[in-house]
Amino acid sequence: MTDFDNRLMDIAPREPAVTRFRPLSWLVVPLLAIWFQVFVHRFVGYVSYLELPLLVTIYFSMMRRQPIIGSVFGACVGLAQDSLSDHYVGMFGIVKTMVGFIAASLSLRFDVDSPLLRLTVTYALFVFHQMGYWAVAKFLVGQSVDLQLPQMAIQGFLNALIAIPFYLVLDRLKEEAR
Amino acid sequence: MESFLARFRHITVLLLLLMAQLLLLAYQVKTNQEVRLIRIWAVTAVTPLARAVESVSVYWNNVFTTLVRQREVLSENERLKGEVSKLRIENQYLQGELATADRAKVLLAFAQTIPSKTKAARIIGSGTGSNARVVYVDRGSADGIARNMAVVTSKGIVGKVASAYPTASLVTLVTQQGFVAGVVSQVSRVQAILRGTGSDLCTLDYVRNPFALQDKEWLYTSGEDRVFPKGFPVGQVRVTKKSNTEFEFKVQPVALDHLEEVLIVVEGIHGAIPDPAPAPSQEVVILPPPPPAPASAEAPAAGAEGFGSTDADRLREKYRKLGEAQGHTYGGSPGRPPDFNKAVPSAQPKPASAAPGKPEEGKPPAAPKEPAPVKP
Amino acid sequence: MRQPDPPYHQDSAYSMPPIPRDEGALPSIKIVVFQYVMAAAFIFLVSGYWTLQIQNEQIYNEKAVRNEIRALPIPAPRGKILDRDGRVIVGNLASYRLLLSRDNLREDHIIPIATGLNLDPKEFAERLRRYRSLPSYQPMFIKDELTTAEFTFVEANRDNDALPELELISSQRRVYPQDGVGAHLLGYVSEINDAELNTPEWARHNPGDEIGKAGIERYYNDALTGVDGERQVRVDNRGNARAELGIKEAVPGKDLMLTVDLDLQIVAELSMEGRNGAVVALDPRTGEVLALVSRPSYDPNHFVGRIDPSEWNKLLTDPDKPLFNRALQAQLAPGSTFKPIMALAALETGVIDENFTVTCTGGATWYGRPFKCHKRGGHGTVNLYKAIAQSCDVFFYAVGNKLGIDNIAKYAEMAGFGHKTGIDLPQEKEGVVPSTQWKMRLFREKWFAGETISVAIGQGALTVTPLQLAYAIGGIATGGVWMKPHLVKESAALAPARKANLNIDHVNQVIQGMWGVVNDYGTATAARLPGLDLCGKTGTAQLASNELLKQRKDLKDNAWFVGFAPKQAPEIVVAVLYEGGLHGNLAAPIARDVIKAYFDKKARRNPRAPEQPASVASMAPLPKVGAAQRP
Repeated sequence: MTDFDNRLMDIAPREPAVTRFRPLSWLVVPLLAIWFQVFVHRFVGYVSYLELPLLVTIYFSMMRRQPIIGSVFGACVGLAQDSLSDHYVGMFGIVKTMVGFIAASLSLRFDVDSPLLRLTVTYALFVFHQMGYWAVAKFLVGQSVDLQLPQMAIQGFLNALIAIPFYLVLDRLKEEAR
Repeated sequence: MESFLARFRHITVLLLLLMAQLLLLAYQVKTNQEVRLIRIWAVTAVTPLARAVESVSVYWNNVFTTLVRQREVLSENERLKGEVSKLRIENQYLQGELATADRAKVLLAFAQTIPSKTKAARIIGSGTGSNARVVYVDRGSADGIARNMAVVTSKGIVGKVASAYPTASLVTLVTQQGFVAGVVSQVSRVQAILRGTGSDLCTLDYVRNPFALQDKEWLYTSGEDRVFPKGFPVGQVRVTKKSNTEFEFKVQPVALDHLEEVLIVVEGIHGAIPDPAPAPSQEVVILPPPPPAPASAEAPAAGAEGFGSTDADRLREKYRKLGEAQGHTYGGSPGRPPDFNKAVPSAQPKPASAAPGKPEEGKPPAAPKEPAPVKP
Repeated sequence: MRQPDPPYHQDSAYSMPPIPRDEGALPSIKIVVFQYVMAAAFIFLVSGYWTLQIQNEQIYNEKAVRNEIRALPIPAPRGKILDRDGRVIVGNLASYRLLLSRDNLREDHIIPIATGLNLDPKEFAERLRRYRSLPSYQPMFIKDELTTAEFTFVEANRDNDALPELELISSQRRVYPQDGVGAHLLGYVSEINDAELNTPEWARHNPGDEIGKAGIERYYNDALTGVDGERQVRVDNRGNARAELGIKEAVPGKDLMLTVDLDLQIVAELSMEGRNGAVVALDPRTGEVLALVSRPSYDPNHFVGRIDPSEWNKLLTDPDKPLFNRALQAQLAPGSTFKPIMALAALETGVIDENFTVTCTGGATWYGRPFKCHKRGGHGTVNLYKAIAQSCDVFFYAVGNKLGIDNIAKYAEMAGFGHKTGIDLPQEKEGVVPSTQWKMRLFREKWFAGETISVAIGQGALTVTPLQLAYAIGGIATGGVWMKPHLVKESAALAPARKANLNIDHVNQVIQGMWGVVNDYGTATAARLPGLDLCGKTGTAQLASNELLKQRKDLKDNAWFVGFAPKQAPEIVVAVLYEGGLHGNLAAPIARDVIKAYFDKKARRNPRAPEQPASVASMAPLPKVGAAQRP
C-alpha cells in the first residue's frame, strides 16, 4: 500500500465499496450498448441523442472504483465504437478513456449509489465527452466540426435522465458486494 | 522510480492509454491509411447479429401488424367463428408477408427497368457518430461490392459505398457533408453539382445557368461524376432568390426516407433522363416529375456557355453587320466604299445618323457597342 | 520474498493493531512487474520517437509537414492585351485549373484519374514521369479549362477517399478573339514543352507553366507574365483545406497596350476573309502598327493549355499554312510595288529626270532576251508619272538598265528591304535584295546585267515581306524618314528614326505617280476614296522562288497593293498581299477599306474637322490631273 492509498483510505474510510459484476456482463453490456448505438438508431430515429456506450462507460467505471480499470474499459468501449464508425479509430477511444478515468476517480470520493450524484456526474461527463470529441476532431484530426453548445446541454440532460433508470437496471447485474 | 510509478500508477496507466491511442490516431492521420483490419473485424463481428436482429425485427414487425389487424378483424366480424378468424389471421399474416415481398418486388422490378447491373442490399445499421450520415448495408466485398459504387432505390439516389468489408459495406448518404454528385435538371437541363451539407438538405453548386433553373424542377444524375449512372432521380430543387443575380438552391433528396432496401450499382450503364415519370413506385404518394419541356433543344452544349468573348469579337460583329447593311463586301466590290460611320442598323433608322458626315458624339473609346441614341 | 513479520509491540507505544503489511506484499510484486513493463514500454516509445523524430527527422518531418500543409499555387493572371483605345483584344476568363498532388498519389489511381478526365493513361503516366525531377510537394498541372463533365468528376471524386490527389484551384484562362482574328499578331500561350524547358530562354520555367509561344504573347512574355502566388493550407486526410496558414498574393502580369487599332484590324480581317495573304497598316509618322493581319488564320483559343494533337497536326499539314505569319514571314517578289523605289532611285542618282520618256510597244529586248510589258498593246510614250500610274514595265526595264543592280540594291536597302524592320514580333524575315556582292557571296557567280531587268520590275531574286513594303513606302511617303514599326508604344523610344537625304522634288514626283495609280485612270482606281487623296501602287508578281508555295500546282500570281493617305502628310500606309489574287487591282479594295475605316474613325473622333468629309454618298468626279489617256 502506498501513502496515496493510505490517504484515500483516510478520506473515505468506507467499506471496500468495489462493486463486482459477473465477468460476462463486462463484455455483453458494452457490446449491446454499441450495437444499440449502431443498429437500433435506424429503427427508432428519436433515440439518436442517446449515448449508451458513454453511459455504460460511466456506470462501470463508477461502480468499479478503480481508475485503471475505468480507463481501460473506457478505451475498449471507445475503440469498439470507433471501429464501427466512418472516422478515425481512436477518437472516441481517447475521450472515453478519460471519461472512464474521471468517473472512477470521482467515485472514490462520493457515494455512487445516490441518484442525484449519478445524474450530476453523468451530465457533466456527457458534456465533457462531447467537448472532448469535438476537441479531438478539431485539433488532432483537423476536421471542422461545429460545437453546438445548447444542443449539447439539452442532450446531456436527457442522457442524464435516461441514465438513472438505466443504471438501476444495470445495478441488477451486480454480484454481492464483498 | 518504483515508488514514484506506484504512487501515480493510475495516472500513468491513463497517460499510457491515451498515448497509445494518440499514436494510433497520429498514424492514421499522417499516413492517411485506415486501420482497416480493426474495422473489418468489428464490422464482420457485428453484422451477423445485426442481420439476425434485422430479420427478427422484420418478422416481429409483420406479426405486430398482423395482431393489430387481427383485432380490427375481430371487432368487425365478431360473429365469425374462431375457425374463420383463425383463417383470417393466417390470411392476414400471409398478406403481411406479401407486403414485404411487394417492397422487394418493386425494387426488383425497378432493377429490371434500369440498364445498370445492380445488387439488392438491406440496410442493417447506421454510423456511430452523432452527425454522420452513413448506413451499413448487408452486402460486402464478398458479394462483389467495391468502394465508390452508387447506391440507389427506385425513388432515387441514396449515396455511394465508402468502404466495403467482407460481409457489409458502409454507405455514405447523399446528405453527408462533402458528398458530391453531378446532376442535371429535367426541364431546363441545367447542369450543377449536388453537395451534401450534413443536414437533411443538400445544396447545388456551380449551377451553369442559374436563371434557367426553375423552382420545383426535378434533378437527375448527370452521370458526369462517374459514380452515378445518368438518369436516376435525385430530388426537387427549391430555388430561393437572394438578389437579382444570386440564387440559393436547396435540394431534399427523395430517396432517404424510410430506407430499407437499396440497390448497389455494380455495373453502371448510363440511362436517359426520363421524359415521362420515372419507374413507378407504389410507395410514392406524390407523382414525382412534371412532364418535360416539349423541346430540350436549348440544352446548352457543355463548354459552349463557358466561352468568353473579347471586345474584338463584339467589334467584328458590329463591322460585319455594318457591311451587310450597306451591301458591302469587305475587300471586294470595287466602287462604292463603305461608310463606317453609319450606325449599325439595329431596329428603326435614326434620323440623326442618316445625315451624311454627321458623326456620333465623342464616345468613350472603350465602349464595346456603338451607342445609337442621340441626345435630343 | 516474504519478509518476516516485524516484532510485535516492539517499538509501538500503543496497542493499536498495525497496518497489515503482509497483505500488501503480493500487490507490491504486481506493481514491480507492472512498473518494469511500463518502463519497457516507455523506452520503446522513446526509441520510437527517436527514430521518427531524430534519426530520420528529415524524411519524416518533411513528409508529415507536407501531408498536413499543402502549398497551392495561385496562378498570376496574365496581363491583358489592349488595343490603342484600351479595348480588350486578349482577355482572361475565370476558370479552374486541375492539379495533381503527387505527395499522396497512389499508383493504382493513375488509370481512374486518366479515364475520368478523358486523358490517355500512357501519356498521363509519361507526364508524371517528367515531373519526377521536381520535389514531390510540387503538384502536377493536369488540365486547364475543365468541361462540365470533368469538373463534376473531379468534384465528386476528390472529396471522399476515392481520389484525394485531385486538386482544383481557380485560375484564369486566356481568351482570344474568335475565328483567328489577330492570331498571328497576338500569338498564343500554351503549356511549356520538354524541348523548351531545356532552352536557356525558358530555363526558369517549370513543367506545366503556360508561356507565350508566338506573336505578342511571346515577344512580351515576361511583361505579360505575373508572379504566381502561393496559398499554404492545412489539409485534412481527405485533402480538403481546413485552415489557411499563409498567403502570398499573386502579382498579375502587366496589361499591354498595343498601337493596334481594333477598328482597322477588324476591317482588315473582314477584308481578308476567304483570301490568303496579309495586311499591314502602319502610321508612317511614328511606325505604329495599326493593323497586322495574316490569313488563313488559326484559333489561338485551341492552344490554351494543351492543344489537341489532331488539331495540331491539322494545322501543320494544312497546305495553306495557317500558322505561317505572312505579314512578316512571307518573302515574295514585290512586283510592280517596287517601281516607286526604282523611280526614286533613278531620280536620286540622276540617271533620269522628269523629262525622260520611253516608248512602250508592249515589250523590249534586253541582252538578247525579250521582256514583255503587262499591257500587250503597249503604253506608247511614257513619262515617269504615267509609268508609275499605269505601271509600265518597259519604262522601268530601261530605268533598271541605266541604274544597274548595285544602285537598285542601294536604294532598296535604303527603303528597308533586305533587312529586318525590327518590329517587336518574333521570327521576322528579312527578304532578299540581290546585288553583285550578294550573288557572289551566295552563289560564287558574277551578276549578269540581264538579271537586273527582272529586278527592275520587282521580280527576279528580289523578295520582300508585306511589312517591309508598308515600311518602305511609308518612309518614302514621309519624305525619307523610316520609323521602326512597333506594336507597343514604349518600345519605340529605343529606336531612332532612319533618315535619308532625299530631294523632296523627287519624292513628290513619285508620290504624284502613286496618286495617279488610284485617281487618274491608273491600275487601282478600285481603291479610289472620294474626297481623300489616296496614293498607292499595285503589284502583280509571278511566283518564282517561293518555296512555301512550291508544292502547289495551281499557282496564281500574287496581288499586291501598297497605299497611303493623305497624299500630303500621310497618316497611314497599308500594304496588302493577296496570294493568288491574280492582279494588284484586286488587292487594292482591301487597302481602301482599311484606309476608309481609319479616316471614318478620325472623323468620328473629331467631328469638327472640316477637311475630311467622312462619307460622301455619291462619287465625286475624277479630277483632271496629268494626261488622261482614256476617253
